[in-house]
Amino acid sequence: MSQSGLPPLTGAVRDLAHEVVSALRGGGHLAGSTALADDELGLAAVRVLGADVLLPATLAGYSLSPERVAAFRTATLAFPAAPGAAPVTAWSHWGMRRALRTLSGPDEDPALPDTGEPGASWLHSLPWQRFTHQLAVLGALALPGLPSEVATTAALRPVDLARGFVRAVRRRDWLQAAGAARWLALLDGVPDTLGLDTGLDFVLLMSDDDPRVALQAHAARHIRDERLLDEGLRA
Amino acid sequence: MTAPYADEVARAALRWVRGHRDDFALPADVTDPRTPVDRTLKPLGELAQLCLSIRRATPPDDERHHVAAELVDFAWRQTDDGALFLDLLRAEPFATYPLEIYAAFAEAGLRHPEFERLAGAVLRTRNWRATEQDPNRRLGILNTERRGGFPRTADPAEALERTWLGALPEPWSFERPSGYALTHTVFHLTNWGAAPHAVPDDLARYLGTWLPAWTDGCLEDQQWDLGCELLAVAASLPEPSDPTPETAGAARESDESVWARIAEAQDEQGGLPEVGGRPRDFTHCYHSTLVAAFAATLTTERTAPPPRTAPLATEPLDGART
Repeated sequence: MSQSGLPPLTGAVRDLAHEVVSALRGGGHLAGSTALADDELGLAAVRVLGADVLLPATLAGYSLSPERVAAFRTATLAFPAAPGAAPVTAWSHWGMRRALRTLSGPDEDPALPDTGEPGASWLHSLPWQRFTHQLAVLGALALPGLPSEVATTAALRPVDLARGFVRAVRRRDWLQAAGAARWLALLDGVPDTLGLDTGLDFVLLMSDDDPRVALQAHAARHIRDERLLDEGLRA
Repeated sequence: MTAPYADEVARAALRWVRGHRDDFALPADVTDPRTPVDRTLKPLGELAQLCLSIRRATPPDDERHHVAAELVDFAWRQTDDGALFLDLLRAEPFATYPLEIYAAFAEAGLRHPEFERLAGAVLRTRNWRATEQDPNRRLGILNTERRGGFPRTADPAEALERTWLGALPEPWSFERPSGYALTHTVFHLTNWGAAPHAVPDDLARYLGTWLPAWTDGCLEDQQWDLGCELLAVAASLPEPSDPTPETAGAARESDESVWARIAEAQDEQGGLPEVGGRPRDFTHCYHSTLVAAFAATLTTERTAPPPRTAPLATEPLDGART
């Protein structure tokens, strides 16, 4: 799928997001067979989407080709978070390194040593509007079984995130709404009156199939379906 | 709770209203069917209602109490001590607005017996119960009946169920029209902020959760009128809204920043435009400025003693929803 009329990086990111969504929705068969573009533009697109490039594997358990994982590693190495980078940049890179480790096994990659979590103190004092924005940018960290200080902080403020989702929908900021919804799908304590399921459908359809929105929204649905299944099995 | 910005907003807005008192005066041809009610009786009725609420919410030694009481009396004199309502009803016997406006005066103890006799006869008709209206306005009619001392013609709990708010809709579906429907549902339910405990628990929880998101959006869009109505609703709930300690601190902080934004939008005289920076003439300012005075006063006085007015249908509503 080409994205005519868009800046090259934007188009590349959308193409990549579309591919990830197709893999998530199509049972994963695309995920393993399509190579990642390893030119500068392709690697930059991987860096923008971050750990979500590996979502078919990390969320849905589909296998990915070694070439795809290797290209992801190249992008992780090519765009490190500079010292003093914004917290979301540092966390996004942390998410990429963590995703690689999940797929590559326990042995440490000497080029990508485990430097620990970047720290999430900046999140604590943010008002709910900014809090939601930052978490939506870090939607790639909203994964079952991926503990982090960001996830711990999110779990303390589900009502604030729900308000942020409402705000984002009202502002027609579909990407932020979908990113917030992904965290909400993961968290306990979300007010029932939010209507997350219909809200996700609404966001997806109103965004005119923006692949980045679709990626977050489908990830949210996947997380939510798994939770509901777990709850059903426990009941 | 101290709220210096809210206090400042309330006092400045009320000064504006007092300064524009004569703009609320009724024209000599007010009963002429060609005279637009929206430019004459509606502003005067809103002046009476919101000033009555401000008077009721404030202690007798507060300047706002004096000003509000003076404005209620002014409005009553404009109606020729209620005789106007009889003229209006004789001209349009099955219209609901004369009684809706009259109710505020009746509650203030300003009454016109002959008008009430005719209104009583109209209220006994099947027609009155069958009048087609928006659900939130129907709730307002039921509150009007109670305030006028008339027998209630329908069950408020059933009327509440039919409102937008009563359905607890998805909060992200909130738009301007549903916003005004919501605020008026709460105004009628609580008798304009006088009876916060008349808000059923599920509605109070719902409002407490979502009001911050809606208010933020309105203020960001410079919808000052609806924003202030939402702030009045927030001050009409039984409990401060936020359920979690992590957010309670932030909410208190943002309450004040909300009032600071409204203070900033007021002009030097205290006038507040309905939307954006529209011309600050009387027509585009009077309602939002009145609502700002009302909402800010409820906010500063929410720790005041319990209201003296009986709530609307506390028993059936409390019984119907938890």
